[in-house]
Amino acid sequence: MPEAVVCVKPIPDPKHWDRLSLDPKTGVLRREGIPTVINPLDKHALEIALQLKDNFGWDATVVSMAPPETTQTLREALAMGADRAFLASDRQLAGADTLATAYTLAGLIKKKAPHFQLVLCGNMSLDGSTSQVAPQIAHYLGVPHITHVSKVQTQDGSTFQVTMDLKLAQLVLEGQGPMVLAVTKEVNLPRLVNIMGILAAEKKPLEVLSASDLDLDPSKVGQEGSPTRVRNLFMPEIKRRREILKGEPEEVAEELVNRLHQVGML
Amino acid sequence: MEGYKGFWVFIEQLQGRISDVGLELLAKARELADATNTYVGALLLGDFAEDKAKELFGYGADKVFLFSHPHLQIYHSLAYTKLICQAVKAEKPEALFMGATPLGADLAPRVAARLETGLSAHCVDLRLGEDGVLEQIVPGFGGAMMAVIVCPEKRPQMATVMPGVFPKLEPQERQGEVVPMEVALEEADLKPKVVEFKAKEQKTVALEGASVVICGGYGMGSKENWQLLEEMAKLLGGAVGATRPAVDEGWAPEEVMIGQSGKIVHPKLYIGAGISGVMHHVVGVQDSEIIVVINKDPNAPFFEVCDFGVVGDATQVLPALIEKLKERLQVD
Ligand SMILES: Cc1cc2nc3c(=O)[nH]c(=O)nc-3n(C[C@H](O)[C@H](O)[C@H](O)COP(=O)(O)OP(=O)(O)OC[C@H]3O[C@@H](n4cnc5c(N)ncnc54)[C@H](O)[C@@H]3O)c2cc1C
Ligand SMILES: Nc1ncnc2c1ncn2[C@@H]1O[C@H](COP(=O)(O)O)[C@@H](O)[C@H]1O
Repeated sequence: MPEAVVCVKPIPDPKHWDRLSLDPKTGVLRREGIPTVINPLDKHALEIALQLKDNFGWDATVVSMAPPETTQTLREALAMGADRAFLASDRQLAGADTLATAYTLAGLIKKKAPHFQLVLCGNMSLDGSTSQVAPQIAHYLGVPHITHVSKVQTQDGSTFQVTMDLKLAQLVLEGQGPMVLAVTKEVNLPRLVNIMGILAAEKKPLEVLSASDLDLDPSKVGQEGSPTRVRNLFMPEIKRRREILKGEPEEVAEELVNRLHQVGML
Repeated sequence: MEGYKGFWVFIEQLQGRISDVGLELLAKARELADATNTYVGALLLGDFAEDKAKELFGYGADKVFLFSHPHLQIYHSLAYTKLICQAVKAEKPEALFMGATPLGADLAPRVAARLETGLSAHCVDLRLGEDGVLEQIVPGFGGAMMAVIVCPEKRPQMATVMPGVFPKLEPQERQGEVVPMEVALEEADLKPKVVEFKAKEQKTVALEGASVVICGGYGMGSKENWQLLEEMAKLLGGAVGATRPAVDEGWAPEEVMIGQSGKIVHPKLYIGAGISGVMHHVVGVQDSEIIVVINKDPNAPFFEVCDFGVVGDATQVLPALIEKLKERLQVD
């Protein structure tokens, strides 16, 4: 069976981001008590795999790198219809930047799904927001990549026409696996989870692997393997007048026009 | 680090037209190179004659590495990656910048991975640290904080930078060197193959260069109310921008979204109506000379970072403002 691998990133639920805080001393993000959800675009990536499963009998495998308590989040991907999931989870892997993340995920894919035809990612994670992981996974797997994918078409489940949205132009590319695609929300509408799916998910394999299970070069993972560092964090400096005008619309409008005139804007 | 010299910029082009973001980055690279006594390199890939490369001197480039070949006219990730990495390995630049555009976001990570170096995404500023290491400023944790990212041990230091952050230079008479580069590609470098290229129709969005930006948020409430912003913009000769929720509602096209995942603007006057002032949006407007905020909630965070704040219903304040402005500007 051809196999699609979907990279699923568990992220703190954006609905609760107002509860995120920074430890002022260590600069570490505190996310206690904030539920974890699947990065929204990754569901679109998963939907492509599930359609290939429905239409051409593909296998859909989920991979992820995240703390161990995110297994429940991956169950949701299984409930949507994925066949199995692998989670790389280890202290050694913590603090990874995109390069180390991609190296680790590529290692996981090589180990557990070496004969993949497609690796499907979201175009961007909401919390990381780099859009860097997918092309970097492709590098480590030695296969081509296409990002900003807004459309995927196939007649036979083997040759794919893929639309890359460059904003000012669109490229349509044609190719066969193995390759990596990173998708935008335009690509499809992900299916919802139903009760049957949830029940089935409980019985599906979900394996947690440690760094040593993955034949990785320890110098290339986690913080140690990350070429970038956060030097420091700062609050954007704000030097503004902060004059607040209140009153009836006509009054404040008049006042504002006067102020704008005074500062040379009109 | 020993042996690494020069600030390089990847010059993005579409159908032979050079995008502004590359020129903007040349201006910043010029500043960084002057501060450290080194040169500015530009990477130009496409189907170009030398004359096109020479245009880049005026914008700040000292050396233009020209990769000219019909196969390069349309972007191809593997081909572009291979050629750029060959040049980097041969010339050892200290830093390499690309635009945080879809094309740059597709290319830069692949190049960085092949070079096994660090890359920071969507930077809103670049500066030199006291130790000479490049500090890349990235809005972090939802934008409420700015993170300073460095890449201390690997070269080149790589960053993608938001379009519109740095002003490009007025073209000057400057001399430079065009370095013709060999383009040797194999069939595998051009896979998957491009079967179609569709340029999208360009709606004129004057947002980046506008000296007045009128921006609406979710609080504008409807497409009808949105007209107030259009009218206001017309009156002041400005452009209309939007927050993400306003774009999601279909009141404005995606191209005019302002903020971390949209455009960065730096007008003289920015007026934001019905916008809460989440940092995702504010990072895109904080370089405006004057910020005016209209919001009915006196506790809206945007009031913290404004010059003039009007507490009131935008659908009432804007029409009143339009009337007063017409009086003042003596138009009808
Ligand atoms: C990774 C990431 C990237 C993002 N990037 C961007 C980005 O680039 N740009 C962007 O804009 N957003 C971005 N967002 C979304 C951002 O977090 C906010 O959700 C968004 O900026 C809020 O938009 P808003 O202020 O229009 O809406 P809201 O937050 O809903 O605020 C509406 C405001 O309007 C006021 N209001 C309501 N009615 C009226 C009225 N009649 N008159 C006056 N005021 C009224 C309310 O008091 C409220 O303050 C991003 C989010 C994420 C997670
Ligand atoms: N830790 C991770 N585990 C699994 N997939 C990931 C991880 N980080 C990133 N990805 C994938 O890469 C995509 C882009 O993420 P980013 O580069 O962080 O914007 C995501 O949508 C995921 O598909």
